[in-house]
Amino acid sequence: MRSAVAWRLLRHDRSATAGALLGVVAIVFLVGQQLSILFGLLQYMSVLVDHSGADVWITSATIRNVDAVNLIPGQYLERVMGLPEVAWAEPILLGNGLMRTADDSFEAVRLVGLRRPRLQGGPWALAQGRAQALLDLEGAAVDRLDLKKFAQPALGSITEINGVRVRLAAVTEGARAFQGTLVFLPLDKVRDMIQAPPGRYAAILVGLQPGMDQAASMARLRALLPECSVLTTAELSRRTQLYYLTSTGIGGSFGFSTTIAVLIGIVIITLTMYASVLQRTRDFAVMRALGGRRRDIAILVLCQAVIIAGIGIFLGLFFLAALLNATRGSDIPSFLPSLVPPLLAGITLLVSLLGSLVALRKALQADPASVFH
Amino acid sequence: MADLRLENIARDFSDGRQLRRVLFPTNLTFQPGELTVLAGPSGSGKTTLLSIIGLVLRPSEGRMWLAGQEVTGLADDVAAKMRLATYGFVFQQPMLIDGLNIQDNILLAVGIQGARIPGALRRRVGELLATLGLEDTARLQPQMISGGMKQRVSIARALIKDPAIILCDEPTSALDAENGQVVMGILKRIAVAEQRLVVVVSHDARVFPFADRLIKMENGTVVADTGAAAPAGQEEAL
Repeated sequence: MRSAVAWRLLRHDRSATAGALLGVVAIVFLVGQQLSILFGLLQYMSVLVDHSGADVWITSATIRNVDAVNLIPGQYLERVMGLPEVAWAEPILLGNGLMRTADDSFEAVRLVGLRRPRLQGGPWALAQGRAQALLDLEGAAVDRLDLKKFAQPALGSITEINGVRVRLAAVTEGARAFQGTLVFLPLDKVRDMIQAPPGRYAAILVGLQPGMDQAASMARLRALLPECSVLTTAELSRRTQLYYLTSTGIGGSFGFSTTIAVLIGIVIITLTMYASVLQRTRDFAVMRALGGRRRDIAILVLCQAVIIAGIGIFLGLFFLAALLNATRGSDIPSFLPSLVPPLLAGITLLVSLLGSLVALRKALQADPASVFH
Repeated sequence: MADLRLENIARDFSDGRQLRRVLFPTNLTFQPGELTVLAGPSGSGKTTLLSIIGLVLRPSEGRMWLAGQEVTGLADDVAAKMRLATYGFVFQQPMLIDGLNIQDNILLAVGIQGARIPGALRRRVGELLATLGLEDTARLQPQMISGGMKQRVSIARALIKDPAIILCDEPTSALDAENGQVVMGILKRIAVAEQRLVVVVSHDARVFPFADRLIKMENGTVVADTGAAAPAGQEEAL
């Protein structure tokens, strides 16, 4: 009966209910949208690592992120390949360059050199062309969303990076990085472009034999290469994301805006529910006089908060899903891990209950004796 | 059947600086089967007395028994439970809750503590409404019926749980003469025919003819009581 009464009172007090709903929707939508951009940027930060297909990354010692690696000697490659748990090992070369655009301007790019024929760490999804196009020494691949930067070059068109001739051989999908525009190239071509010494690499990607104990394999690799950083793909990904989150102020900025969104939501919920309870003070006093206990009034108010939260969460997630759907494939970074919506719903429910506490306090003050005056 | 006995019941109110006595020590006994009217001018203490009898206000002094059980200093929840089980209230204003239809307003008096409402009780709502001349109003919202009808709905709300005691605070003050007579007639029938203890607070002389017992109050004291059982020292013919 109490939950039914709570629902009917909410339906009757439409403006107050709409206000409180707005608060909940604001929390879910604004926080969800902020988080989707944050996770989208996090994906950008570690996109190369996450899509490398490797189990282990070997880089120069004490690295802070995947973009700040010193070159390591190529003989480590042979050493690693000697271990029975290693299925394959491939070098990768990273560097910076200036790419001539189709309108004769220049654009800064992040070069990713891949060794042929395996092209490990290279494009994982293509919008145009084929990955094998990078087997061509002059072949280069850029992302679909970055074509505008390069003044929309046609597939097969010739251009240059750091004065070295390349041909746009493929267009990638979803290969965008936080640190710059990614261009995938054959490893030797990148070496020419950045003037890297022969036989040295930015990192060695390692694939372990299926069924191997990863912890034991990591221990053996670390013992074999004590002068290097030997990290699992997940470790390097986390380290890179954490570095950019803490060193660029992105984490603080998103944390601040998310906190503001939550606070605004709490204030809206608190004020509207309080106003609603104020209007109902006499009714709560009547309920108390009729035999309602304080806990019955509390259950009624909390039921209202839960109903508002439930509807608001549903609407907020619906609008958020619509936004994410609309921006999918655009150049707005957005990604929401599957764990986030239920977590967001749970937090919003807690925030809604928190916002109803002031109203609850007022409702519990309703004096049954006041109905006799 | 519940009888109600008050022994030296008094009540003080504080305005923050000093205590003010609004009800002086009062001894009264109420019996089922009679309609008692508490009369007196504004500020005479009749509503305070009704609130104490109704367990919504604690006395500052004295003791009170209901059906032989002392109910003077009951904990909040126990008092609420007793109100739910034993009392029916009719307030000065009908105090129906907007947003709940007539049926839900009546059933609230049973379900406020979360009890499931059996189908038989829903049927009883219909019967009560018919008895009170309110057929076909169960699904209406309170704002769709007149003031007199609302007050009759509040009587139905008081009766739905079949309470032993019915307390009414100026039930006719918001009604015209005709509706006031109808409401008092209903209350009289409930008291006498159904052997309930009915106490009505009113300063409206038109309700006095319905009283089996008339208690007159002034300045926080019972100055007259037609009831034969009134304690010595407070009894006075009106």
